Amino acid sequence: MKLRTKITTLVGLAALASMGVSGAFAQTLEIVKERGHLRCQVGAPTPGFYNLDSDGNWYGIDVAICQAVASAVFGDKSKLEIQSVTTQQRFTALANGDSDLLSRTATWTLSRDTRLGLDFMPPNFYDGQGFTVRKDSGITNAMQLKGAKVCVTTGTSTELNLTDFSRENDLGISNVTFDDFNVRDDTYLNGGCDAVTADKSALAGNLAAFPVPADHMILPITLSKEPLAPAVRQNDSQWANIVRWSVFALINAEELGITQANVDEMRANSKNPSVLRILGAEGELGEGLGLDKDWAYNIIKNVGNYGENYDRFIGDGPQGIGIAREGSLNALWTNGGLMYSPPMR
Amino acid sequence: MTIVRAQKTPDRTPPLSETSILGWMQKNLFSSFFNSILTIITLYIVYITVSGIYIWGIADATFVAENRRECYNNSLTGACWAGVIDWFDNIFYGRYPREEIWRVNFGGLLLVLWMAPLWISKVKGKIFIGISVILFYPFLAGYLFSGGEKGLFMQVMVSGAIIAFIANMLNVLTSRIKGQSLSKFLISLFRQSNASDKSQRNLILGVLVISFAAVFFWQTGWSLEGVVWTKWGGMFLTLVISGVGIAASMPLGVFLALGRQSKLPVVKVLSTSFIEVFRSVPLITVLFMATTMFPLFMPEGFVLNKLVQVILAIILFNACYMAENVRAGLQAIPKGQSEGAHTIGLSYWGTMGLIIMPQALKHMIPNIVGNFIGLLKNTTLVSIIGLFDILGMLRSISKDAPWIGLHKEPLIFGAIIFFIVCFSMSKYSRHLEVKLSAGNKH
Repeated sequence: MKLRTKITTLVGLAALASMGVSGAFAQTLEIVKERGHLRCQVGAPTPGFYNLDSDGNWYGIDVAICQAVASAVFGDKSKLEIQSVTTQQRFTALANGDSDLLSRTATWTLSRDTRLGLDFMPPNFYDGQGFTVRKDSGITNAMQLKGAKVCVTTGTSTELNLTDFSRENDLGISNVTFDDFNVRDDTYLNGGCDAVTADKSALAGNLAAFPVPADHMILPITLSKEPLAPAVRQNDSQWANIVRWSVFALINAEELGITQANVDEMRANSKNPSVLRILGAEGELGEGLGLDKDWAYNIIKNVGNYGENYDRFIGDGPQGIGIAREGSLNALWTNGGLMYSPPMR
Repeated sequence: MTIVRAQKTPDRTPPLSETSILGWMQKNLFSSFFNSILTIITLYIVYITVSGIYIWGIADATFVAENRRECYNNSLTGACWAGVIDWFDNIFYGRYPREEIWRVNFGGLLLVLWMAPLWISKVKGKIFIGISVILFYPFLAGYLFSGGEKGLFMQVMVSGAIIAFIANMLNVLTSRIKGQSLSKFLISLFRQSNASDKSQRNLILGVLVISFAAVFFWQTGWSLEGVVWTKWGGMFLTLVISGVGIAASMPLGVFLALGRQSKLPVVKVLSTSFIEVFRSVPLITVLFMATTMFPLFMPEGFVLNKLVQVILAIILFNACYMAENVRAGLQAIPKGQSEGAHTIGLSYWGTMGLIIMPQALKHMIPNIVGNFIGLLKNTTLVSIIGLFDILGMLRSISKDAPWIGLHKEPLIFGAIIFFIVCFSMSKYSRHLEVKLSAGNKH
């Protein structure tokens, strides 16, 4: 009898706790405003997307999303706490309210979108898996990798994709797995495997840091689709709208030619109604989001547009990793890419 | 006729084979054909290794460069220390604001100055120094490192710490110069040496109260800029976690060990099960549990500082190991010791505190220090759960755009730092052993 009461109590407590977890976060915007800063989750440093510089500041294209949302909400990109969370904990930390926003090279997939209590936002980077090989190996086509040893980091979908690819084409590729991409690349450079596979952005970034980059090349094939997108907790449309349109504002600004440098001038002198609307000189776009009318102006003023951030962190900027944008999926739709924002009106 | 010599025969110089280097070499390195071959092979291996390390790490290495490409331009095979040097601030202080780094240094310096008198001879009242460090230093350091608004409690503790520190320094001066402790010196300064104990005590209390009031009002005037714990990192974070871990797990371990040996069934069962549970689980599991599961059970919006969770987890985990070490020491003490203590009328705590523990702990110094070293190294696990301790920082260098892929040099640098810290700890423990066992050489 006594034991039974105890069990009932425990079950009751557990139910209460789980209710608290699922239903509690309807109003992320209120919570963020009350706290006074945004908690934005990134992962362990990853070149191009989120890294520390030698002064201890975070930078990268995903960090720019965090800064954009902080600017939209507070008008100040420094009202931001960047949380570096491990891969295992990333979705839990978002679900339990530790993070307000996840902006960390997470691939948007159906099962993640439906089973983990998340809503994915528009992708801010389209990636895909590829291979790096030595030029003198004579391999120019992935089908020539028959029986090859391929270095891959373990525990990610990368490894699964490689196995699928090998099975599909009957290549008999043997996986050489690593925990750390540095060790993987060292092994490859010392002849431990014939090719390296990873997301192409990472391959390009790492290849640029090889002793003699010209000795290696990335094969044209792309094994997988990796749309990397920010994510928020499910069932909070207002907050999802803010994050979604912050991403779109970055893209739209580039399309309209608004940059960090000319944003003030554009707001004062532009004759384009789209520009005036997005910068808050006309209309009340911010109202629907629960923000003031300067929200998008603040984003561009503080962070710059999508293209500027791409150049800074992914492209050829001093902190970039040297991946060309032209002709890639990450170009604007007007240049044949996939970066497309619905109209902001 | 006498054949007795009146003078001592002069000592003959020892044979050349005993004094010269050649003699030593012949005896130790080339005593037989087989040994000579061994020596030559070993020397060759040592030469290969050392010259390899020298060429890679020093001769071909780059110490000044803007990025990894410049290192490569200098030498494709040499080490690129420039990246490590560029990241020094991150490695030692983490993301701590650069213009506030003096606070970390100052905090460390305070601890050294505070503790140093414990090792200076002729200083009086060492027990008080020890107590004051444990009682006040954590609060002063805590405020120095994190800053922000001082609550009333913090104001009191910070003022207390300042007084204790100043008193400590003055005490060293009076002990060394006048040969008397600070309180004795004050009493003689006010010409109260012959007064009753009570008025002497009142005098000391009065001085304390007045100086406390002065310091308290002085410190209300300033405050330090707040630095959130997420900006702590690097070596600093490693030392904070392991320092707090060591300081807190030691006493907790002693109590757990006593609890496990206790005759009270509840205490015994609780201590034993606590020790067994935490000891049977890997530290990384405890850390994950503390950081991921714990927030799920907390009320909505309540986020406990992750650093506190981690430190608590490490303390609890390490206390169990400490408890077993102490218990081993307790079992090495013959029963006659506690029986003897009982016969002279000592209570349980008296027996433990005055007779058993000092002997038990002394026996266990190598194990306890081994445990501390283990804890220091274990703290690097926090980099897995997303804190940027020294290992986390060292691994991040290879992700920073200018230094992409630079991962060997930082890890080697980290290994050197850990070696220095751990080796000095073990050397000190050896010194302690020798010093404490001076009376009973077996």
